[in-house]
Amino acid sequence: MDHPIRIVLAKVGLDGHDRGIKVVARALRDAGMHVIYAGLWQTPEAVVRTLADEDADWLGLSLLSGAHMTLVPRVLELMKQANLDNVGIMVGGIIPEADIAKLTAMGVAKIFGPGTSLDEIVGFLKTPREPKP
Amino acid sequence: MIAALLDRLRQGDRNALARLISLAAQGEGLAELQASLAANPRSARVVAFTGSGGVGKSTLIGKLIPLVRSQGHKVAVLACDPQSPLSGGALLGDRFRMGSSTDDGVFIRSLAAQSGHGALADHLDVMIRLFETVGFEVIFLETVGAGQGDVEVRRFSDVVVLMLQPETGDDVQWEKAGILECADIVVVHKADLPTTEQTAAQVRAALDLSPARHVPVLRVSTKANTGHAELWQTIHALPLRRQHATAASLLLESAIAWFKERYQAAESRHDAELVKLIEAWQRGETPTEIAAQSLLNTLTRAKP
Repeated sequence: MDHPIRIVLAKVGLDGHDRGIKVVARALRDAGMHVIYAGLWQTPEAVVRTLADEDADWLGLSLLSGAHMTLVPRVLELMKQANLDNVGIMVGGIIPEADIAKLTAMGVAKIFGPGTSLDEIVGFLKTPREPKP
Repeated sequence: MIAALLDRLRQGDRNALARLISLAAQGEGLAELQASLAANPRSARVVAFTGSGGVGKSTLIGKLIPLVRSQGHKVAVLACDPQSPLSGGALLGDRFRMGSSTDDGVFIRSLAAQSGHGALADHLDVMIRLFETVGFEVIFLETVGAGQGDVEVRRFSDVVVLMLQPETGDDVQWEKAGILECADIVVVHKADLPTTEQTAAQVRAALDLSPARHVPVLRVSTKANTGHAELWQTIHALPLRRQHATAASLLLESAIAWFKERYQAAESRHDAELVKLIEAWQRGETPTEIAAQSLLNTLTRAKP
């Protein structure tokens, strides 16, 4: 049966800039999704626990601090340990070009940088996902 | 699929629990779930927190979780937030106020509640049964910022905690029927604010007009970190309504809700039998009493 997309939005680490993630949360809500807002200063462990308990389809992480190459791999590793391979992960924020390929290779489905339109994010999430290999 | 998930659940698989709650929320496989969970005793203490948006329900629950854990109880939270009637979307923003825990004895689930459903998500009863199956002893239920008439929460819970804050309403406000009547405990939250005593006294006076029911009025301040232990002791001292004999009237309430739910489901899928029945009644061919009897039969037979 068709059910609304459930997505957890979180910020990991010490980055305290939450305007962007709140704007995205609003847009996804208005697009009919159920947005679980986990908020600021989350540990990777807490985010993965939230994903599991909320039975989410997606995780959206926002990082503007430059810590993405430390924190995102940690989240991916914990997701694997928690048998959450079926959950898609997208990252938004300031991610240098050189790191995009690395994160994508690790399993991040999509990275949205500055200037991304909200329609683009909504459109991406609403496109049916190909099953992971 | 449900049988396999229930097996995994009984083996302690947390992801299976999360999945089963989703199925219950979507109303899938309800009959099968209810049948397989029926044998378990109603063992949990279900405590509902209700009151208007911004009064501090999530924050207070977040403060109570460590207290409950310190006594060794596993605790689950079902936190409801409103779903937009326009887009169907929802921003579920309760859990981030409850602290981020990776404690296995804590399970927090955010749920979207449709408007007009009593400030609660659907099928909470099934979710409560799921938690009871895996040994959660305390279940906190958070309503959507509930209004004056949202009393349905009583049906699902052992204890209803109504939360108010200073500067809300005058003494006539508390005479109105509805939410105050269904409270087992009243908490004046943000009790660090100056008019706390006035609000507490007004509520106390209104409650004392019905001396048959003793409802404690407690002052709690999360800012000043006072009153939480006393609140938890008070909650814990109350009898478990869902197991109690006086809960017989709740059966009727539950039956009516069940009936209504089935009716709405049949209506939305344009159930042929239902349409025929309604038309015959509208034309006056079937008297109301007989139509009601047929309606009951139709809905009992219909798949939910």
